[in-house]
Amino acid sequence: MRRLAFVLVVIAVFAAVVAAPAAAAAVVGQPAPAFTLTDSHGKPHSLADFKGKVVVLEWWNFECPFVGKHYGSGNMQKLQKEWTAKGVVWLTVSSSAPGKQGHVDGAKANALMKEKGGASTAVLLDHDGKVGKAYGAKTTPHMFVIDTKGALVYAGGIDDKPSTDQADIAAAKNYVAAAIAEVTAGKPVTTATSQPYGCGVKYAE
Amino acid sequence: MSPVVRPGGLLSAFAGLALALGATRASAEGPPGRHVKASLVAETDAVRPGQPLVVGIRLEMEKGWHTYWRNPGDSGLPTRAKWALPEGFAVGELRWPYPVRFRTGPLVSYGYEHEVLLPAEIGVPAAIAEREVRIAARVDWLECQEACLPGRADVSLRLPVKALASPGPQAVLFAEARRRLPGKDPGWRFSASSAPTGLILVVRPPRGTALREAYFYAVTPRLLDYAQPQPLVREGAAHRLHLPRDPNGAPSERLAGVLVAETGSGTVAVEADVKIATGPARTSLKQERKP
Repeated sequence: MRRLAFVLVVIAVFAAVVAAPAAAAAVVGQPAPAFTLTDSHGKPHSLADFKGKVVVLEWWNFECPFVGKHYGSGNMQKLQKEWTAKGVVWLTVSSSAPGKQGHVDGAKANALMKEKGGASTAVLLDHDGKVGKAYGAKTTPHMFVIDTKGALVYAGGIDDKPSTDQADIAAAKNYVAAAIAEVTAGKPVTTATSQPYGCGVKYAE
Repeated sequence: MSPVVRPGGLLSAFAGLALALGATRASAEGPPGRHVKASLVAETDAVRPGQPLVVGIRLEMEKGWHTYWRNPGDSGLPTRAKWALPEGFAVGELRWPYPVRFRTGPLVSYGYEHEVLLPAEIGVPAAIAEREVRIAARVDWLECQEACLPGRADVSLRLPVKALASPGPQAVLFAEARRRLPGKDPGWRFSASSAPTGLILVVRPPRGTALREAYFYAVTPRLLDYAQPQPLVREGAAHRLHLPRDPNGAPSERLAGVLVAETGSGTVAVEADVKIATGPARTSLKQERKP
């Protein structure tokens, strides 16, 4: 009897854990969560619009030193230029809530991207953090790659050197570049997940 | 018990000290750590040839700011030290007092607020020609309130070489750090197994010890979902802690980390490093007791 009660408690506890909303994260190998967000020019974009294309999601906070490492060095812009030129859709997402570090409206996002020479397809404004939470975006940057059929094929860090030091970029293995190269060549992604590193995404409390 | 704290939260005994030192900048080159002061301290007032020397990286944080544990959790970076030692000296790994949790929105990270000492043991050669030695380290950390800044400091200390050594002026800091250092305790037994949504850690504390609360800080990277609660269920003398898995994590054969438990006689921090069984968790105590 006691055993039965224990089993029931365990089941109840698991059910509670599974039902917790924060458990909803995009999982590699499964369909990427659908979303519609407005970009910095006021134009809406849905993930479904890009079916048939490889899509990259890049979580962004311009005031975060880890983001500064990859924009200050030109590393992020180089990837954006290279892959958008080859037909990849690159969506830079800002989930910084109003009043939080890195929060941008459309005009601010456009000015920053112009100044930095950003070359994303669009900067998406996720002020309420719903899309960030649906993907389980934890850090800036946190990178996701979606294949032409809408499946998530990569989730993790931009590379394997968790630091704010630009000098680390040259020797780093860039997981995102490798994943895009593989998926655009129709190959399976060798490293499909890695440790995201950076500042925590500045969601509303 | 290590409470979940929010940045800018609890005021501890260290807060006054941290405030007093808050305006002091770390004597650093490189990126500015503006809210954390780093220094290098020794437990004793001298170096004894052939005897280990215990030193520590001391981080004093302004109120509301924190630095990170060896596994920073959802975001952040662990503090790192690059040592410069006299010839023949060799330093071990930094040791990490158990951390607290910082919750910001849906994210949880692991670290320290107010003040922490990260001790390290230095092997000392049997013969030292000099009358004084210099120990130095370049310390890199990430300091965060809501926003984060990289911090760096070059820290050093000089100690005389003597046949006898006494506790130094900072010895009390080491005593405090040791109270928070997790230990290996054979009186505590652990086993782990896979469950559909995560891992089950079975904890068997020493006889007569009951856990009121427990939290497992994973050292194994990319295994657990740090933001989820870890429900604790008691079954007789054993306790089961359900550890939700990171859905985009990496597979691991082992689970290593630190269990911080609130017992009837205070907070206990114990190291655990166990193989993860693939079958269902065994519930019978008799089956798991080894002769």
